[in-house]
Amino acid sequence: MASRRRMLLKVIILGDSGVGKTSLMNQYVNRKFSNQYKATIGADFLTKEVQFEDRLFTLQIWDTAGQERFQSLGVAFYRGADCCVLVYDVNVMKSFDNLNNWREEFLIQAAPSDPENFPFVVLGNKVDVDGGNSRVVSEKKAKAWCASKGNIPYFETSAKEGFNVDAAFECIAKNALKNEPEEEMGAKPAAMDFPYLSS
Amino acid sequence: MMLNGAEDEEKWLAEGIAGIQHNAFYMHQALDSNNLREALKYSALMLSELRTSKLSPHKYYELYMRAFDELRKLEMFFKDESKHGVSVVDLYELVQHAGNILPRLYLLCTVGSVYIKSKEAPAKEVLKDLVEMCRGVQHPIRGLFLRSYLAQISRDKLPDIGSEFEGDAETVMDAVEFVLQNFTEMNKLWVRLQHQGPGTVREKREKERNELRDLVGKNLHVLSQIEGVDLEMYKETVLPRIVEQVVNCKDDLAQYYLMDCIIQVFPDEYHLQTLETLLGACPQLQPTVDIKTVLSRLMDRLSNYAASSPDVLPEFLQVEAFAKLSKAIGKVIEAQIDMPAVGAITLYVSLLTFTLRVHPDRLDYVDQVLGACDKKLSTIPKLGDSRATKQVVALLSAPLEKYNDIVTALRLSNYPRVMDHLDNGTNKVMAMVIIQSIMKNSSCISTPDKVEVLFELLKGLIKDMDGADVDELDEEDFKEEQNSVARLIHMLYNDEPEEMLKIICTVRKHTMAGGPKRLPYTVPSLVFSALRLVRRLQGQEGDIVGEEVPATPKKIFQLLTQIIESLSIVPAPELALRLYLQCAEAANDCDLEHVAYDFFTQAFVLYEEEIADSKSQVTAIHLIIGTLQRMSVFGVENRDTLTHKATGYSARLLKKPDQCRAVYACSHLFWVDDQDGLKDGERVLLCLKRALRIANAAQQMANVARGSSGPVTLFVEILNKYLYFFEKGNPQITSAAIQDLIELIKTEMQSDSATPDTASDAFLASMLRYIQFQKQKGGVMGEKFESIKL
Ligand SMILES: Nc1nc2c(ncn2[C@@H]2O[C@H](COP(=O)(O)OP(=O)(O)OP(=O)(O)O)[C@@H](O)[C@H]2O)c(=O)[nH]1
Ligand SMILES: [Mg+2]
Repeated sequence: MASRRRMLLKVIILGDSGVGKTSLMNQYVNRKFSNQYKATIGADFLTKEVQFEDRLFTLQIWDTAGQERFQSLGVAFYRGADCCVLVYDVNVMKSFDNLNNWREEFLIQAAPSDPENFPFVVLGNKVDVDGGNSRVVSEKKAKAWCASKGNIPYFETSAKEGFNVDAAFECIAKNALKNEPEEEMGAKPAAMDFPYLSS
Repeated sequence: MMLNGAEDEEKWLAEGIAGIQHNAFYMHQALDSNNLREALKYSALMLSELRTSKLSPHKYYELYMRAFDELRKLEMFFKDESKHGVSVVDLYELVQHAGNILPRLYLLCTVGSVYIKSKEAPAKEVLKDLVEMCRGVQHPIRGLFLRSYLAQISRDKLPDIGSEFEGDAETVMDAVEFVLQNFTEMNKLWVRLQHQGPGTVREKREKERNELRDLVGKNLHVLSQIEGVDLEMYKETVLPRIVEQVVNCKDDLAQYYLMDCIIQVFPDEYHLQTLETLLGACPQLQPTVDIKTVLSRLMDRLSNYAASSPDVLPEFLQVEAFAKLSKAIGKVIEAQIDMPAVGAITLYVSLLTFTLRVHPDRLDYVDQVLGACDKKLSTIPKLGDSRATKQVVALLSAPLEKYNDIVTALRLSNYPRVMDHLDNGTNKVMAMVIIQSIMKNSSCISTPDKVEVLFELLKGLIKDMDGADVDELDEEDFKEEQNSVARLIHMLYNDEPEEMLKIICTVRKHTMAGGPKRLPYTVPSLVFSALRLVRRLQGQEGDIVGEEVPATPKKIFQLLTQIIESLSIVPAPELALRLYLQCAEAANDCDLEHVAYDFFTQAFVLYEEEIADSKSQVTAIHLIIGTLQRMSVFGVENRDTLTHKATGYSARLLKKPDQCRAVYACSHLFWVDDQDGLKDGERVLLCLKRALRIANAAQQMANVARGSSGPVTLFVEILNKYLYFFEKGNPQITSAAIQDLIELIKTEMQSDSATPDTASDAFLASMLRYIQFQKQKGGVMGEKFESIKL
């Protein structure tokens, strides 16, 4: 049974509005990119089959709205995530500064059993813009932050040019796989686990 | 039942989760043993937990997500026919036997997903079937989540262009139809929720509806992600259908949210090409819809788009975006008579931001927006609302920030009109913003007309406004404001003397209305600005008469006299005296003897008639002596008259030490180093002797008063003058006289009754050292000093 469950890996992409979360997912899943900005509303996922160590996995990639007002229902979908991808735009300082908030919010809401070791991956997107001339967050600075948060793997990507996108998602999948799933279906639930049942 | 609502809800949620986990456990067992019947049974039981009506949308979503995750496992099982041996077509039939409608439809959607994927039936048929079947659930919350499940599982199975599900018989149009239908049904469910239950829970309903809104909005996101929805299809089908639903649902919450969604979810190019449809919807919305925020967001988005690349600007021109937006805003403001002023002005601020970004060269557009705002404001008796006031300030500040140049803003005819709507206090704040902009950008205002317009804008600072409460003036603020105006005057400048003179006259006209409190700040600036012009003209001509050259120093001096005279209403005689002396010096440099003489006369009149305070007199007399000393324009007669007066004033000062110092200072009036004609050694000596007499008298008075001799300071200071003139070669100053004076001072200092005075000691020592130094240097000067025996 555990093996069946492990066939599905759940990944959540978080980050400020406009950093390119949807674009990264579309590039990875559909090999498509659009210059147009179309805001994401709520959260939904695309799936992608990935081959790994001779086994086939389904990546369930959840794209979320960066604009708070399009996240009205809350974040119940964080539950059961195997990896969380934090995206920022290397040309926008604020989007980098906010990574901390996104990370902490995720840890609070998803409440993984071992928050210290929960797998995150950070992506610095839009490295293609203006030939890199308009970037304001250096690779060094980003890597330092990642190191300070328990050596989070870091990738510089361009959803537009498809640069590093596959490599990033391969790493994401690998880390998701390493995550120990929460064991809550191991046995028939007993009534005492649910105090309200008896009341 | 009526315990704590939140606690109850937690309990129900926990129960629901427990139910799901319980049945999921058995479902897993069934899946592991490839038992389709059991799997269907327990999954249906599990899904029954979603039939609850007790949870708020937030909590329901948590429950839904649990079931959702379990359904993914079921889906994988369905997909693998080898495990259960039933074809997907039969499976699709089979699940329809589930007893309860909600579990049945969830199962149907799950199998439907596998069905489409298998391509056993055209995607469009299955989708159509599913979206129809879902009508069976009319409970708003349950229905919305069920349909959002349908939307999610069909997300990657739409017959979009380039998708594996596209075919000859099914096109992107079918995909669009499917999503539009699901959207319409969801919106209806969502709106219906508002009208359920008693009116008392209205607030709670609204909160719930707000939580649910993204389920409806997500359909629009899905539409925007469909590749095949090109501009053509968007324009012809997608947008009109969405707008139709939005308008017809007549629900303000839905209308506001969905309009916002449309704007955010579809690309900028589409908006530009469909502005009529989008804007045309606005007046049809419920009057309670916050259209101003919707439109502001649209304009913000388009402004950002315009700023993203110059390549897109032709698009804006081609569709006449400004005209359309402007018209739409006008209509909305007209239609929503109850819209508060702040709403209308916020709209104008957005429109202005838009036009400044998109059409920075079209000043007429900017003026048009200001004009429309002025018109709206004219219908409001008084702008009392502070938020509205803030928006007006934002409106007026935007062009300044954009152009970094007040001169451009001064060309906007409606600018002052809008500013006039501000209350006195805010008007001043705005005036300060304008001045700060000028100072920051070092903008030079170079024509009389512009100065005229500028002062009209700044009138709140320049003069007392009607109805202004003078008592409430903050002294500090007032000072800052007036200092700013004073600084501003120096930014009004033209290289052409005649233009500059006109500017000065314009400034004069306005500042003279400022009243006694403001004149002491503005007059000096104006005087120095005019003197700057005089200095520029000074080398050019002397005393040209005739009207064809109006900007002559003489004419400007006349003007200056009048300007300074205006201070009499303050009154500020000390300031006026200083300014007259400045003018006299300038007249001197222009070689205008009479004019300079007149200025001195004016200064003397003030001295005699207005300056009564003894301290002020001392300051004034030293200013007079200092200025007079530098005058070179005077003939002997005029100079004698003036020096005579100055020495007379000096000797009549109230206190002896003051008299003494003024008198010895007068000695310089008779000995001007660089002028041959002015070396009257005798009168120098007379002054110094007179000073000595006064010093003596002062000392005696001190003796009488305190029983001790007064300080020797005065003598020491006079000694310094002696040395100065001695060195300059005044034959009347002899080494003997200097020796005597030194002796006298030393004796005084050593006398028992002397008051110790370290400053004088040091001064004397320093002079003695100087004498020594000159002696040692040798040469002519050394010989001269050698005669002083110490
Ligand atoms: N040049 C460049 N542009 C990108 C890149 N990734 C995304 N974009 C553009 O950035 C804009 C925003 O991208 P999205 O993917 O919609 O951003 P998002 O993070 O999903 O935004 P929300 O849905 O609002 O949270 C779009 O106009 C994209 O075309 C990139 O790597 N390079
Ligand atoms: Mg997105």
